[in-house]
Amino acid sequence: MLANLLIGLREGLEAALVVSILVAYLVKTERRELLPRIWLGVGIAVAVALGFGAALTFGPRGLTFEAQEAIGGSLSIVAVAFVTWMIFWMSTAARGLGAELRGQIDRAADGGRWSLVVVAVLAVGREGLETALFLWAATQAGTRDTIGSVTPTWEPLVGALLGILVAVALGHLIYRGAIRLDLSAFFTWTGAFLILVAAGVLAYGIHDLQEAGILPGLHALAFDVSDAIAPSSWYGTLLKGVFNFSPATTWLEATAWVLYVVPVGGLFLLRTRSKRPTPPSPQLQEH
Amino acid sequence: MRTKTLLASVAALAVAPMLAACTENASSGDDGGKGADARALTVGSSADGCELSATKAPAGTLSFDVTNTGSDVTEFYLLGSDGLRIVGEVENIGPNLTKKLTVNVPEGDYFTACKPGMVGEGIRAPFTVTHSDDEQQVSASDQELIDQAQANYRSYVQDQSGQLLEKTKQFVELYEAGKDDEARALYPVAREHWERIETVAESFGDLDPKTDAREADVDLAAGEKWTGWHRIEKDLWPQDAKGYTALTPAERTTYGDDLLANVTELDGRIRATGADALTYPIDAIANGSIGLLEEVANGKITGEEEAWSHTDLWDFQANVDGARVAYEGVQGLLEGKDPALAKELTAKFDALQAVLDEYRDGDGFVLYTALEPADTKKMTDAVNALSEPLSRLTAAVTS
Ligand SMILES: [Cu+2]
Repeated sequence: MLANLLIGLREGLEAALVVSILVAYLVKTERRELLPRIWLGVGIAVAVALGFGAALTFGPRGLTFEAQEAIGGSLSIVAVAFVTWMIFWMSTAARGLGAELRGQIDRAADGGRWSLVVVAVLAVGREGLETALFLWAATQAGTRDTIGSVTPTWEPLVGALLGILVAVALGHLIYRGAIRLDLSAFFTWTGAFLILVAAGVLAYGIHDLQEAGILPGLHALAFDVSDAIAPSSWYGTLLKGVFNFSPATTWLEATAWVLYVVPVGGLFLLRTRSKRPTPPSPQLQEH
Repeated sequence: MRTKTLLASVAALAVAPMLAACTENASSGDDGGKGADARALTVGSSADGCELSATKAPAGTLSFDVTNTGSDVTEFYLLGSDGLRIVGEVENIGPNLTKKLTVNVPEGDYFTACKPGMVGEGIRAPFTVTHSDDEQQVSASDQELIDQAQANYRSYVQDQSGQLLEKTKQFVELYEAGKDDEARALYPVAREHWERIETVAESFGDLDPKTDAREADVDLAAGEKWTGWHRIEKDLWPQDAKGYTALTPAERTTYGDDLLANVTELDGRIRATGADALTYPIDAIANGSIGLLEEVANGKITGEEEAWSHTDLWDFQANVDGARVAYEGVQGLLEGKDPALAKELTAKFDALQAVLDEYRDGDGFVLYTALEPADTKKMTDAVNALSEPLSRLTAAVTS
């Protein structure tokens, strides 16, 4: 039970975190009217993933290993681009709040607002297909005949669903915590957090492409702490789910991680610092 | 607009690879009298074991149904003979779950590995993929490289043929009009396009002798007629020919028109579509590269080809150009199969080019008559150094 629960937790965690931060942001900036777009994106991703998962599991055709890696790897890299965009969109839109009229910002950011759907689709859809395949396999496990020493059981499905529920609950806790922060602290902390998440996704995408043989250096390890942090343990699961931390990381992954975190983090710090000297606007103090 | 593009591209990104790379789901379970498919295997992964239903399978699309019979999460890998390269993997197989790995595998030696707990080397065992009588399965990426090489080579040949026709037209006009200096200047330049695709042109057994025969190859005594490039060459450079009688304007027109007609016919055949379209199988491209270098060794390096104009080095360079283009067409494929050979060939092509570059003169080259024995020795050595590894090209790319 625990092993399947941890898989569900890990797959669900990253999506839950990105979505909950996005929701917290919209609530804090009093743009609740945009929330349906987030839920629309989540809904699309869940429906598409479950649909494809079912088609690939029960239909006449399945995915090759190469296709799975290509989808996983390329979606990861696109997801990084969108989460990065989201971090800076949030800070720009928030900075303008006090100085400009709301209507103007909303009109200017209209393209950006629709991109929220894309962010939600990507955050949920990236791991969605794999999760859906897992869930359908778990469903099959409950209905199949005995294979060797394995008897039919609903336990994997229950475990995976519980894991996803825990991920959603953790996402909600993040949301509750984030909503209590004042707006500038909210940006500093969630922005920094999301940069680490995105860097992890990038490194993971690189790893997928290395496994598919598209990028070299799969066996050139920068470090291997598998003995200390077992990937199937609960803390290994959390680190993987939140930061995509891999206990055995290749040099290429580590390099990509650093090359992302340093410039993006630097730029982010510059933007949040430059905001400090301006006195908080009355609107901001209300929160 | 922008948002729609974004959404569309995300959707396309998610769906395209699935359509491009989906594969038959093996009919597991329902045993419709066909017996167990030798390409559908099952794997039982427990805490300390990795049991396969077979350790051998015929080449082709294999499926592994991996069932986790242990209590920890597991993974299953199919690894290359070096034990490092990942041919295929399934991750995140929870206890009591079955997941399928579908992968296209060519003949060879492999390893299977179950990784309970997702750490370490895993529980490994050798796995053999045997030769299959079914149509040879080519992995998607190789097929893509092959298709690309064929398309590129076809357009290269067609482009050269088009330029050959264009320059031949100009050359024949100048020659027939008696503008000999200009015709002499254009002669080696027009022929470059012929020499670059010489192996394709030679494949038309009826056109080649009419177009590119040397005087020595023609049995005049038996009544064979000598026509084409070299017949005109002799008329433009009669200095070395003792007692040569220049062609009359009417004869010039006869030989000129004949050359243009044959080159036009060649271009038409190269451009043919439908059932008559030329095909360039990957081994033909590789053999074309080898053949063009042989042309260099047999004719150009000896100065036999251009007996009157002595512009052999133009032909030499053009043959090398053609050989290099053909090789570069299959280079991507070769790098996947024999990276050491690819590296060696690139280096030897560079070295040969460096030797040729020493003999450049303006837009062209020095005449063959200006070469010392030491110069041709240097060229022969560079050609021989390339032809040995090049002779292994076809076998390597078709393996
Ligand atoms: Cu298909």
